[in-house]
Amino acid sequence: MIRKEQILSRMETLPTLPQVVVKLYAVLNNENSSASDVEAVMKTDPALTANILRMTNSPYFGAGRTIDSIRQAVALLGTKRVFEVAASASFSRIIPDTIPGYDVPADGFWTHCIAVAVIAERLALELKLKTPDLTFTAGLLHDIGKLAIGIFLADEAESVLGELADEGRSFYAAEYSVLGTDHAEIGGLLAESWQLPEKLVHLIRWHHKPSDAKKADPELDIEQERMIDLVHAADILAHAFGYGADAGGLARELDDAVVERLGIKVARLESVAADTMIQIRDLSASLSGSQEKS
Amino acid sequence: MKSIKVDISDLQVSNGPESVLVTYALGSCIALILYDPKRKTGGMIHYMLPQSKTDPEKAKSTPGMFADTGIPLLFDKMAALGSLPTDLIAKVAGGGKFFASTSTLDIGKRNYTIVRKMLWKKNIMIQAEDVGGKKSRTTRLFLSSGKVTVSSGGEEKEL
Repeated sequence: MIRKEQILSRMETLPTLPQVVVKLYAVLNNENSSASDVEAVMKTDPALTANILRMTNSPYFGAGRTIDSIRQAVALLGTKRVFEVAASASFSRIIPDTIPGYDVPADGFWTHCIAVAVIAERLALELKLKTPDLTFTAGLLHDIGKLAIGIFLADEAESVLGELADEGRSFYAAEYSVLGTDHAEIGGLLAESWQLPEKLVHLIRWHHKPSDAKKADPELDIEQERMIDLVHAADILAHAFGYGADAGGLARELDDAVVERLGIKVARLESVAADTMIQIRDLSASLSGSQEKS
Repeated sequence: MKSIKVDISDLQVSNGPESVLVTYALGSCIALILYDPKRKTGGMIHYMLPQSKTDPEKAKSTPGMFADTGIPLLFDKMAALGSLPTDLIAKVAGGGKFFASTSTLDIGKRNYTIVRKMLWKKNIMIQAEDVGGKKSRTTRLFLSSGKVTVSSGGEEKEL
């Protein structure tokens, strides 16, 4: 059994999301801040700015015209969207070349993150639900725990795969039974240490156990609950369509209660899958994982 | 050897004896592999979904996304290389399933059912298959020999 303490100590050696993202979130949450405040924060990180512009010019964020400055991005896409793009662009820089234990290269991991972000937003639309704020970022960051836990999982890879061999368990359950913790729990702690907004911390913590989120935190509002449900379902769907295939294959479990709460039907899932494929491909190509490092 | 990648929602055919058609990360998607042993021509599609009525617009721009638009196109392309349906061997891989208590969400099975039906109508037997389960699969067709391999989790087998 791997010791949670060991994993936690490893977290300190991991790269963090640049502080500029945390600062940006504060600026964007301040009603009095303007585009020039956003610009002032971004000035400290020109490489990040370049990546943000590359992403905002992809069809997914489609502003309808070329964006060549942060100020213009804020004007055309709004501050919330700019934050989502900034989080994506900065996250792509800290993904290592491979995630040990999960047996997935950086590109695959990044594609999975983008796929979950895009599918979660599209699923909300398909189900005629209001898309909770930060859903895109939530989808993008849901698996950050894997960055911390992968190296430990690699040591135990055989046991995990052995647990999976009977095909009766999900990869997540196998991970827990071998490590005594899992990437969602570790991810939640990592998100806290990165000072991410609380809703993202919750999302990352509960994305595999969406029905326990409310039990753990009775204060959780409906929008938050919905965000967790959407990302949970999007994660399973992304694996089903091979976006970022890893050692877990299709050993993923879709929570029944989520199917019920969101009103998921197979025709709706298929519709979302058809509509998002090209967006996922183009968006993940606009900024590949582990590249564009500064 | 010349490797020709078949992306998700894509289809490719070849008559190059040195060619290898390959597709990665088949989850609930299906790869249908066609091979003509006489002419050593082959084709592969990696479709995501069974029916084009899900998104008729996408079916026009990306016919390989759906079984009912992509598979006929694959047969057409094989015919253009001189291979008729009666000349072809068919093999199928993919169609995996995630855990869910309701089987109505089993997209892999829906994908598999339709390919069986479509081949049956053309009077073509599936000679070999590796479908269902929780695996993510990579599959290859070697044009020189017609050999088809399926690999998953570091293990490879011949289909």
